[in-house]
Amino acid sequence: MSGTGVGHGPEGPGGHGPGGPGGRGQGGPKGPGGRGPGAGEFEDFQLSQMEKETEEMLRVRYLNDENAVFERTGTGFLSLRVGEEFYPRVVVVRMFPFSDKDEFISIRTAEERSREIGIVEKMSQVSGETARMLEEQLTLRYFTPVIEKIIKIKDEYGFAYWNVVTDHGACNFTIRMGGNSVIHLSDVRILIMDIDENRFEIPDINRLTPAERKKLDLFL
Amino acid sequence: MILLYDLSEENLELCSLEPGEEIYYCLPLDIDLRGDYQSDSYVVMTDRRLMVLKNNELAVNLSLEECDSIHCEPQIACGLLFVQKDGKDVLLGRYTAKHLTRYSYLARGMMILKSGRKDRVVSHEYEKSCPKCGWAMPGTRVCPHCSGSRRGYFKDYVSMVKPYMGQMAAIIVLMFVSALIGLLSPMVQRYLVDDLLIAEGRTYGDAVPCLLAMLALSLGVIFVNTGKNYLCARLGSYISQGLRRQVFEKVQKLSLSFIMDRKPGELMNRIVRDTGRIKDFCSEVFCNMFTIVISFIFVLAYMLTMNWKLAILAFVFVPVSVGLSIGWRKKIRRRYRRQGVKDDKLHSRLQDVISGMAVVKSYGQETKEAENFDLAAEEFAQIERGNETFFAVFFPILTFLLGLGSYLVTFFGGRATLLGDMTPGELMQFVTYSGMLYGYVGWISNMPRHLMNLITSMERISDVMNQELTIYDGDNAVDLDIQGEVEFRHASFGYKSYQPVLDNISLKVKKGEMIGLVGASGAGKSTMINLIMHLYEIDDGELLIDGVDIRNISLEKFHSQIGVVLQENFLFAGTIYNNIRFAKQDATYEEIIRAAKMANAHDFICQTPDGYNTYVGEHGYNLSGGERQRIAIARAILSNPRLLILDEATASLDTESEYLIQKALERLTKGRTTFAIAHRLSTLKDADRLVVIDDHHIAEMGSHDELMAQKGIYYGLVQAQLQMQKGG
Repeated sequence: MSGTGVGHGPEGPGGHGPGGPGGRGQGGPKGPGGRGPGAGEFEDFQLSQMEKETEEMLRVRYLNDENAVFERTGTGFLSLRVGEEFYPRVVVVRMFPFSDKDEFISIRTAEERSREIGIVEKMSQVSGETARMLEEQLTLRYFTPVIEKIIKIKDEYGFAYWNVVTDHGACNFTIRMGGNSVIHLSDVRILIMDIDENRFEIPDINRLTPAERKKLDLFL
Repeated sequence: MILLYDLSEENLELCSLEPGEEIYYCLPLDIDLRGDYQSDSYVVMTDRRLMVLKNNELAVNLSLEECDSIHCEPQIACGLLFVQKDGKDVLLGRYTAKHLTRYSYLARGMMILKSGRKDRVVSHEYEKSCPKCGWAMPGTRVCPHCSGSRRGYFKDYVSMVKPYMGQMAAIIVLMFVSALIGLLSPMVQRYLVDDLLIAEGRTYGDAVPCLLAMLALSLGVIFVNTGKNYLCARLGSYISQGLRRQVFEKVQKLSLSFIMDRKPGELMNRIVRDTGRIKDFCSEVFCNMFTIVISFIFVLAYMLTMNWKLAILAFVFVPVSVGLSIGWRKKIRRRYRRQGVKDDKLHSRLQDVISGMAVVKSYGQETKEAENFDLAAEEFAQIERGNETFFAVFFPILTFLLGLGSYLVTFFGGRATLLGDMTPGELMQFVTYSGMLYGYVGWISNMPRHLMNLITSMERISDVMNQELTIYDGDNAVDLDIQGEVEFRHASFGYKSYQPVLDNISLKVKKGEMIGLVGASGAGKSTMINLIMHLYEIDDGELLIDGVDIRNISLEKFHSQIGVVLQENFLFAGTIYNNIRFAKQDATYEEIIRAAKMANAHDFICQTPDGYNTYVGEHGYNLSGGERQRIAIARAILSNPRLLILDEATASLDTESEYLIQKALERLTKGRTTFAIAHRLSTLKDADRLVVIDDHHIAEMGSHDELMAQKGIYYGLVQAQLQMQKGG
């Protein structure tokens, strides 16, 4: 849905082939029935292009303060310069949002069929300013309020109505009873999905008061 | 779905609308960029401007001409709204998942306004929760809570029972009789004690009629109750059978999107378990209801008239015993619910491992899986042990406490008898009645739960029954004999409306033409076919069959003229014969053999042990993929379709069967409008035109030669496949 389409770094023509491996050194491929003059040249180009793309896809490139310059666009987003390449807007994605949210951050192009530009291995390894900029983008992308206080849970007719206080303010939401509305990320950590697919987290159920635990009991 | 929220006076003033300017869309920005909840921020779009109101301020004010495009990008459980302006993405606001869908409509709406058209985008999707009362809506247009239809469930129940009035009357009569007998026997007992046993000058012979009467009453109770239970169970099963049929018919009519949105298990539960619960209510609760209520009232009145002081003493314990049993039930249910959850976990763990046994074994993970299973089993056992201990310790105590009332009655009643205020027979009757009373109270206190179960089940059923059909025969639906012309006009569609799969597709297919659909997986080829089959409704634009809007063609007639051959063809449990004639139930043997021959299926069918009567499907004769495929082709040939759909019909086949199927398909497609999808592009060599779908659009269109000459996407795909064949 983004498709910003303004000078998105280097991208070859016809970057659509399912870059299959193999075919290395097989000589000039022939089109069925050898159609069209001058096809051989183009095919060679195509082929090398595909191989290049495959290789690029397999490569793991780590970004750090030396090789990458992040900059705020001033309109809410983040741009990136890596050597020759410039990306007017990048998307910042967590690879392990639940288990290690500050490690292995994928920096990607903003197109719909987005491509990885590089990986920031640890937030602690980049400068404080870069980390702050990345953090801003992550905050924009992930919205999972942490439930700090459970005021009331009422279950009725197959739905449960929650009235809670989160780290982003007070909130009411509704979940479907039964099914997969409450996900156990660990023994003490749960993720709750409401009917609109909003997410809420309780990082440690043992930190709730006994009265709140009791309200939650139905879902554990 | 609401796309135009109401603005307060102050906010409206902030917009300072020009004369003639009209607000088209207004949506809340319910969180700020940090994620804090906002209650008074909105995006307003008029036919000229895009505005953002934040906390009583006009934060953004752009004319539509300034913005090149507007984007509503779904993030993780939230979304971002930004416009593209002077080649830059400009972030405007953020919203929670509640509004994701709305914003996709906003984006579409703006593009329409920018193009100069004044149409409003209308969303036919339902709100997830009622905008008025906040209750979750079970997939219905009106909120059952607001409209008060919830109270109507008992009425629903009565209307379900109505056709069986005769049986109902019999049941009610039996209930009265049963109550009468139950109350009569303690009276006879009293008579036996007072007037026969203690009284002077009575002989054994005098007692015989009384004893016989008691025997008759005991037998009578058995007969009456058996009859009553039988009738109730029968009534329950009639009702649930009727419901099951209704629900199933409705489920079949509902669009695939309704079915895909739900787990198959959930729908099965609604058809089987919820209707079963209604039966249970009939046979367990309803059939005892009158008996117990009548007896209860009678016992109460009788005890009061017999000895009101003693009766009050007995009643004192009623609230105690009600409280105790309700508290107990709550506690025990909570405990067993947890046990149930662990039990489910254990089961699914086991199921997981057993169905994935090949993977577990091949990676040598047996020990680890055994440990994991042990852990889950231990957890379950622990909870189960705890629950059993709890039950074993507290249940006897509870029983004792519940019986306390009877002890008191016996004590004080015994004293009264010794003092001569009561006869021994009266005491006996009184004690029996108070025992009955406690039983009834326990039963009645269970009623809310039974009713709740009934209501929940009725609700789930009515959720399906009240679901409005999205694809149905309208009033002006016509029985169209299809010629085979298909046209997409600016058609857009997405399974989730905020993620378009096909965007603004226009394509005109002539009668008898064969179209090959090409594109990466997930590009929307199968979606296009689903639309042609009218399994889904397009969101925007038109889809015309022979110039008639597909929505105005009667479904059954339309579907009877389509033939489908898929990669994985579903064969129903049954004979080959039944599977072939699935689309044309009145086909003769000769027609079926002819179709099988054309599909190159006849020869292998003859070699199966039971010929056309060979049983296939689950637990049936094992057919290879190619054989299944050819049966599916025969099925398609038999129905003589005008529109033919081949979705990867020759994938995953060996070369020989592929050849046979190719030949069969050639015969099948002749003169029929055909849409074919194939990853192996050589399969599409006979296509009149190839349509390359990429990035939700039609990227290229033309014959094989034309597209090869264009050297675009199709050319690249062909090259890639050739390379793979060579290098593979």
